[in-house]
Amino acid sequence: MREIVSTGNALAALAAAEAGAMFFAGYPITPSSEIMEHSSDYLPQRGGTCIQMEDEIAGICAALGASMTGVKSFTATSGPGISLKAEQIGLGFIAEIPLVIVNVMRGGPSTGLPTRVSQADIGQAQYPTHGDYASITLCAGSLSECYTEIVRGFNLAEKYMTPVFVLLDETIGHMHGKANIPSLEKIQASIVTRARFEGSQEDYKPYDVPMNKPAVLNPMFQGYKHHVTGLHHGVTGFPTEDAAQCEFNIERLTGKINQVHLENDGLDDLPDYEEIDMEDAEVCIIAYGSIALGAYEAVKKLRADGIKAGLFRPIMIWPSPINRLEEIGARFKDKIMVTELNMGQYSKEIERVIKRNDFTQLLKANGRPIAPAEMVAKVKEMM
Amino acid sequence: MRNTLRFTGVGGQGVLLAGEIMAACKIKNKGFGLKTATYTSQVRGGATVVDITLDDNEIRYPYANEGEIDFMLSVANVSYHQFKSGVKPGGIIVVDPNLVHPTDEDRKIWKIIEIPIITIAKEEVGNVITQSVVALSITNTMTKVLDDDSLEEVMLSKVPAKVHAANKMAFKLGREYALKAMAN
Repeated sequence: MREIVSTGNALAALAAAEAGAMFFAGYPITPSSEIMEHSSDYLPQRGGTCIQMEDEIAGICAALGASMTGVKSFTATSGPGISLKAEQIGLGFIAEIPLVIVNVMRGGPSTGLPTRVSQADIGQAQYPTHGDYASITLCAGSLSECYTEIVRGFNLAEKYMTPVFVLLDETIGHMHGKANIPSLEKIQASIVTRARFEGSQEDYKPYDVPMNKPAVLNPMFQGYKHHVTGLHHGVTGFPTEDAAQCEFNIERLTGKINQVHLENDGLDDLPDYEEIDMEDAEVCIIAYGSIALGAYEAVKKLRADGIKAGLFRPIMIWPSPINRLEEIGARFKDKIMVTELNMGQYSKEIERVIKRNDFTQLLKANGRPIAPAEMVAKVKEMM
Repeated sequence: MRNTLRFTGVGGQGVLLAGEIMAACKIKNKGFGLKTATYTSQVRGGATVVDITLDDNEIRYPYANEGEIDFMLSVANVSYHQFKSGVKPGGIIVVDPNLVHPTDEDRKIWKIIEIPIITIAKEEVGNVITQSVVALSITNTMTKVLDDDSLEEVMLSKVPAKVHAANKMAFKLGREYALKAMAN
């Protein structure tokens, strides 16, 4: 392990560089700007490129283009930037271009509250653009995870050939403190690189893959040619409207992402969720991202006051850890408190999974964090 | 033992860096330190608040709990009034009397100490930028939360070498003014 004193944004930039990213393109936006600022140091030091484009849209276009040449590539922004990038994110999904998209969440909608914390882009990360697809979204809940979740993001993007969202928020991106992160050797040993087709060009059919498997796209300009389009396409990448092919495409695009909880993601010890004091808990707090920081302290305080509280913290937000959520719903009944910095976006997922809405919510959407004392008071009301 | 401190000012005064130095110093000495800043979307002149939490045990929640802050230092009136309520009754608040104007009621609730931080930096050190180091030194002299020599060392590691002398002087003056104010 390495001990680093840093901000979440600086750790995210370091993680990308150490995960092997060689290209960043984006447009600075609060509260994510420091990711680009630090990348402009880290990437050129390693022979890579960091470029400030003329706007958010150009930022993701350049990043997708770089990724098509086989280079690990990423961009960072906040909610308003994701809205602008939405169309090209769709291209990433259908053409199966690996890309890590970091969203350091701030208050919205529109330009909203630029310098204030929010978790209101949870829904946006699930469905950032039109059409049918499934998204992978990771959410850092500590400074250390600003590093490890970025590394996992690159591994998942390369493995599943898809854009991957890594969500930070203003609190976690800007807070400054100690992080323990894995050694560089351990990180390098965990790196996943996209599959390559090794046969002849005549046999190269990048999208000729079985159900639930990602495309095999060789890097551009290295001897293999394939067609890239946002239109539905057949096995060579050229457009098609064949009904069976279109149906297969969509089922495969969503099906491959649903494998994510079933398969090893390269960093074996990275869990999809964290549980604190759940063994004997009588009430369960569900929180993610920076709000979980307050929830840890709330659990401690509640236990000191004689209430057996536990914390469930999803790290992989999409696809959500359905099996575990079902178990929690069955075990805790109405003794569940979901707390998040939006009007209940993740609560809706919990309701969908456990098929009930009798749990308690502690929500805030005014750009301010939720203090442990507020959580303690809310739980006490439930008991 | 947990200490929570708050620096308030306006954007551009360097209060963020002062907070970062304190957290880094605590971590260097095998403890835990977190700095969190809250600021507005105004580029300059917006109220800025920095919360610093220091503990020998792990800290998760990075913001100070309202009413639990041991010590606050303020160099801007707007942010003083906006964030003073976080300080626990009887806590110390250091203000620059040329810029911050506490009410009579405030003086009954908190121990308010007036030190002309900006003037010290501008006229005695000769570099207004060093105001954050004067503030840093005052804070530590009054709260004794960190080892003074270690704090000075971490501070010097965070500022460019060409201004080391000025910042050393700022650190020394901050300590002297704080001791003088505490003696009164």
